[in-house]
Amino acid sequence: MVETFNSLMMGFSVAFQPQVLMYAFFGCIIGTLVGMMPGLGPLAGISLLLPATFGLNPIIAIVLLSGVYYGAMYGGSTTSILMRIPGEAASVMTCVDGYAMTQQGRAGPALAIAAIGSFVAGTLGVIGLMLLAPTLADFALRFGPPEYTALLLMGLFVLAYMSGGSMLKTLAMAVFGLLLGMIGIDVMSGYTRFSFGITELGDGVGIVPVAVGLFGISEILMTAGQADPPKVQQPTLRQLVPTASDLRQSVGPIARGSLLGFMIGIIPGSAHIISSFVSYGMERRLSKTPERFGQGAIEGVAGPESANNAAATGAFVPMLALGIPTGPVTAVMLAAIMVHGILPGPMLIQQQPDLFWGFVASMYVGNVVLLVLNLPMVGLFVNLLRIPYAYLYPCILAFCIVGCYSVSNSTMDVWIMLVMGVVGYVLRKFGFDLAPVALGLVLGPMLELSLRQSLAMSGGDYAIFLQRPIAVTMLVLAVVLLFFAVKPLIFKGKDWRSKVGLDEPADS
Amino acid sequence: MTETTLQVQAAETRGLRSDQASGLTLLALAGLVGWLNREFPVGTLADPGPGYVPLLLAVGLGVIGVLVAAFGVRSMPLRTLAWPEATRALVIMAACVVATFALERIGYRITIAALLVFFVGVVERKAWWVTALVAGVFSLASYHVVGVMLKVPLPRGPWGF
Repeated sequence: MVETFNSLMMGFSVAFQPQVLMYAFFGCIIGTLVGMMPGLGPLAGISLLLPATFGLNPIIAIVLLSGVYYGAMYGGSTTSILMRIPGEAASVMTCVDGYAMTQQGRAGPALAIAAIGSFVAGTLGVIGLMLLAPTLADFALRFGPPEYTALLLMGLFVLAYMSGGSMLKTLAMAVFGLLLGMIGIDVMSGYTRFSFGITELGDGVGIVPVAVGLFGISEILMTAGQADPPKVQQPTLRQLVPTASDLRQSVGPIARGSLLGFMIGIIPGSAHIISSFVSYGMERRLSKTPERFGQGAIEGVAGPESANNAAATGAFVPMLALGIPTGPVTAVMLAAIMVHGILPGPMLIQQQPDLFWGFVASMYVGNVVLLVLNLPMVGLFVNLLRIPYAYLYPCILAFCIVGCYSVSNSTMDVWIMLVMGVVGYVLRKFGFDLAPVALGLVLGPMLELSLRQSLAMSGGDYAIFLQRPIAVTMLVLAVVLLFFAVKPLIFKGKDWRSKVGLDEPADS
Repeated sequence: MTETTLQVQAAETRGLRSDQASGLTLLALAGLVGWLNREFPVGTLADPGPGYVPLLLAVGLGVIGVLVAAFGVRSMPLRTLAWPEATRALVIMAACVVATFALERIGYRITIAALLVFFVGVVERKAWWVTALVAGVFSLASYHVVGVMLKVPLPRGPWGF
């Protein structure tokens, strides 16, 4: 404990450097603005900003990008509450009661509780990250290729089980992403696969163009031709103060949302999106007056907002401790670290303590910045929503093009982005979740390499996965999850999605 | 219920469902990957080659495609899937394709300015001076921020800008 405290103090000495503080501040502002803009979620925002971090030192790069990440989480809730437009997917549940509160003239308390919930959840999440990541990293030093294979397989099954929509469609998208990850040179044999003679594809398909295409471009195509945004309420500072009753009603949902969100954040999938749905369902179930939900219940804002912020922080645990992304956002952030020659994984905390602890400390600072920034300046931020969409979307498109081009100064990435934009648009029309594609793309090469390394280790004997206790435990968990995922298909029962109020899976 | 309504409902219950179409498309994609994968040695179970995992994934995608199609009988009819934004989306994509072709040929600033003029002036029909302002300011400012301040080598055209 003393060691953790000393390390944290060292982290604060890094985080309080004026340059780091400044970038944390900028990250939060950019993230808030990005989160508020329909069409630019945290993933697209981080992807677009990624090339700008190449010239920065790695600590500043990750502080900036994480500021964008949790800034976008909060920014998304502002548009959800004021306009019923979720700036990003995790804010969908906030729309329901947040906008109902706005219609009742209570936008101020809704925004305040969202900010307080985000702050509390974010801070508790950082404490969890601080305590859990080093322990997990120490444990992960025992991991070899078989354990990584089992872990990645388990992650994919968790993703299928925890997906918000149809399990089969989620699996299909994960496999599609894994196949995209097969493009390029096979590191074990030297074969160039599925490149169609295009030299640039030898290095594989990058996560940035895929992410920007799937999430940014497809959103613009989906909203093409829409009318200008409706009028926006601008609450004053005085109107933001929640009543004692609001605070009393929100304490439980914030605490539960923080715990739930952090736990869901650690496991792979669209963690922050799932966590907000699960939290909303749980609060409605626990409430003595569930009929208030949907009519402006403040618990319906406090729970999901806390959960999605805690999940955003929880997602950093496996990223920093194991070097494994749990979602597309952490995948892009891993790319940002690797650009600087740093290999994420169990050794990261030992070899780069200033990076890890500086990052942890900057998250405490970032949470305070967000709270201080967002509440008084919400009136200023909502001015962004007054920009007519006719001007906004061409500029976002231009940003997407320059952002993707900048990654490797190649138009190939722009082409990939455009193709993935069309693919994403069509997939969304047919009700597919896109996050597993991005996750599969990153996990694909890791999974293939660890599988083949495991078999090389064992001389081709698959029993290696059953002889190692950690690997076999994870495989058993994967099988159990697969059983629970498949159960509703076979027995026509209700699964967790319907219990928490998500749509019935189409395939059950 | 009128006869016409019943006829429409009956027509909607016939034909391919959206999930069935999705499943069949996934199956076709799996077939394509399997066909392309024939160039790479699959190896053996004990010693997998470069074609092993892609083949495994193609088979998996095909199976999932079949299951999506099989369980998709209750999904919405394909013909009821609305595409109101498709024309505008097509125009946006066409403009982006042209811009990507032009980017390294005529330079970043001219390409982005032309792209914005097209979207703001032609597609959205805003006043010419607003269009010129948005296109000019955005292309020059973004070049300054990304190209000059962040030192990203953005393409220049044959005229040097």
